[in-house]
Amino acid sequence: MRALQQMGRQIGRTVMALLRELGDENAYARHLKIHGQKHSAAAWRHFQEERLGRKYKNAKCC
Amino acid sequence: MPKILGHIFWAAMAVLGAYGLGAIALNRGEPINSMWLVTASACVYLIGFRFYAKFIATKVMALDDTRATPSERLRDGHDFEPTNKWIVFGHHFAAIAGPGPLVGPTLAAQFGYLPGTLWIIVGAVLGGCVQDFVILFCSIRRNGKSLGQMAREEIGKVGGFTALITVLLIMIILLAVVALVVVNALKGSPWGTFTIAATMPIAVFMGIYLRFLRPGKVLEVSVLGFLLVMGSIFAGEWVAHSAGWAPWFTLSGMALAICVIVYGFFASALPVWLLLAPRDYLSTFVKLGVVLMLGVGILFVRPELQMPAFTRFVDGTGPIFAGKVFPFCFITIACGAISGFHSLISSGTTPKMIAKEWHAWPVGYGSMLLESFVAIMAMIAACVLEPGVFFAVNSPAGIVGATPDLAVATISGWGFPVGAATMASLAQDVGEQSLFYRTGGAPSLALGMAHIFAQSGGGRAILGFWYHFAIMFEALFILTIIDAGTRVGRFMLQDLLGNLHPKLGQTGWMPGVIGASAAVVLAWGYFLIQGVLDPLGGINSLWPLFGIANQLLAAIALCVATTILIKMHRARYMWITCTPLAWLVVVCYTAAWQKIFSDLPRVGFLSLAAQLQSALDAGKVPAAEMAATQAQIFNNRLDAAVCAIFLVLVTTILLDSVRLWYRILGGAEEGKLVESPYVLSQLRPEEV
Repeated sequence: MRALQQMGRQIGRTVMALLRELGDENAYARHLKIHGQKHSAAAWRHFQEERLGRKYKNAKCC
Repeated sequence: MPKILGHIFWAAMAVLGAYGLGAIALNRGEPINSMWLVTASACVYLIGFRFYAKFIATKVMALDDTRATPSERLRDGHDFEPTNKWIVFGHHFAAIAGPGPLVGPTLAAQFGYLPGTLWIIVGAVLGGCVQDFVILFCSIRRNGKSLGQMAREEIGKVGGFTALITVLLIMIILLAVVALVVVNALKGSPWGTFTIAATMPIAVFMGIYLRFLRPGKVLEVSVLGFLLVMGSIFAGEWVAHSAGWAPWFTLSGMALAICVIVYGFFASALPVWLLLAPRDYLSTFVKLGVVLMLGVGILFVRPELQMPAFTRFVDGTGPIFAGKVFPFCFITIACGAISGFHSLISSGTTPKMIAKEWHAWPVGYGSMLLESFVAIMAMIAACVLEPGVFFAVNSPAGIVGATPDLAVATISGWGFPVGAATMASLAQDVGEQSLFYRTGGAPSLALGMAHIFAQSGGGRAILGFWYHFAIMFEALFILTIIDAGTRVGRFMLQDLLGNLHPKLGQTGWMPGVIGASAAVVLAWGYFLIQGVLDPLGGINSLWPLFGIANQLLAAIALCVATTILIKMHRARYMWITCTPLAWLVVVCYTAAWQKIFSDLPRVGFLSLAAQLQSALDAGKVPAAEMAATQAQIFNNRLDAAVCAIFLVLVTTILLDSVRLWYRILGGAEEGKLVESPYVLSQLRPEEV
């Protein structure tokens, strides 16, 4: 039972991490860490300019 | 698991898979349960993943976890970042899964469920997954380089340049055809049009919320956006029943096409954070959620397939698109079996996130298997409809007759009974004025999905909601492809134009941005309008063109993969990439030849142009239709020319590759591998 609960928690954590990755939240956390910044509106905008500019240079699949 | 239990498990899997394949292949004359398709495909996928993909990983590519990947060596926290393999798996799957695996199988269901299903399963295991996996591996070993860069470095400059032009042309056809799918789904549908129109202000609201109100809260704003979209579906029903509002959202195909073109231009030129990015977040989450829901729905309802294994249309006389089962089934279903576009993703973001080389196994091969399973689910959703209903929805007026009575008489005459009253009742159930002539695949797929969801709970009372939910889901991510694709097309064009004048290549120079965006939008917009005006529904000409182009891109990717395998001294395994390559060459060249030169006007572009020209010359065309006929003649010749250009481009790469293989294998040239050097990985397990 405990093993099942652990597995469920692990799956839940992975799903949340995936959602955060797809939503660029993980990338933002990395961005803050690399630049030694704290979260702020300006930091987010700076991140958006960098991240989105690169992200939407790649083709989306059919 | 002890070894003997493992052997027993895989033997049981093989027997079950063979039994499932036998059941779907040999059943005739009575409905078959969809669980047979699920069982057969799941067993084959598992066996393909465990044995064939592992063989490729071990013997052919010799994946090495001690070798540092680009995500570790070039780690910058932006593009290059070692990431958990299941997160990369989900990320890669979300990137490769578009409307293709949903729409292609729906259209190919006109041949019956069997040809498409077998192609999806076999094509994926031996072709599509192999392409994605090998290209991902090649890109990992080359610092995450793109397909075009690898083609240039491994085959030659001609190959690289040709690949770039091919991708740009394919992009234009892709955008036109997916835009046509949306236009045909929303034509004359105030409910659907309102819902989709509402997603634009919702996306802008999300963009502003994320930028100024709650910066960084992407998941939070996505939940809000999703709730608002759900609200817009309910509001859409009210709009459809409102005498004042409904006419504003009841648009013709041409009006919708112009709206989509204008939208594409603005979405490409506006700041990304305002419209494109929030819409992309929303559509990605909705896409993953709906795919999961559809899977659960099919397992829960276990619907029976009403479509026979084969229909009479394997002979090439199909109403949705003309052409025999070979080669047209194999180009109609591209994504889901093998899609060249995936090679762009496998050599794009994904290789920069892979932490260990062995992660390419589940990510490259496994994600494509999942996409193939999505295609199987789409096939099931299309085939749960009564065949008469399926053909009434998907057939153009130019084939079945311009009135509902004529259409039901024609379709019933084919042996697929359907009544005008049945269609009217179904249209009423889903809140539409009519379901006739809704070509493009999206409405029939939405109907099938709505049936499955409604049977899971709620019944006919909520059929309308589920139908419009499914339309919203399809249109949402198709529009995301249109705006992102137009933007990428703009960058590609500016890249090419930059060779003429450096200023034109600057992505921040506004006149260049506007000019290149307009050029790309006008290019795909032209093909879109051509499709809207086509009396045969547009899909008949554009979807095969797209399918041929997409498969030819896969042929380019497999040329690159084979070249690299030969240079790696793995020539004895080149059959792994050469087998799908040979198949694609045979299929695409046959299809392209038939689309250009077939004597049958519904199949061959030139013969249709000649037929229309003869009618024009003989004075058989009424004066009011002369301009439209002349435009049709030009369009058919243009389609033939585009098809021929694809063939010339791919033949160039193919010949260039074969020449190189011959020289390397014959010892006339040393195959110099352009691979990044071995560096020992220092990544700790907890880091991934």
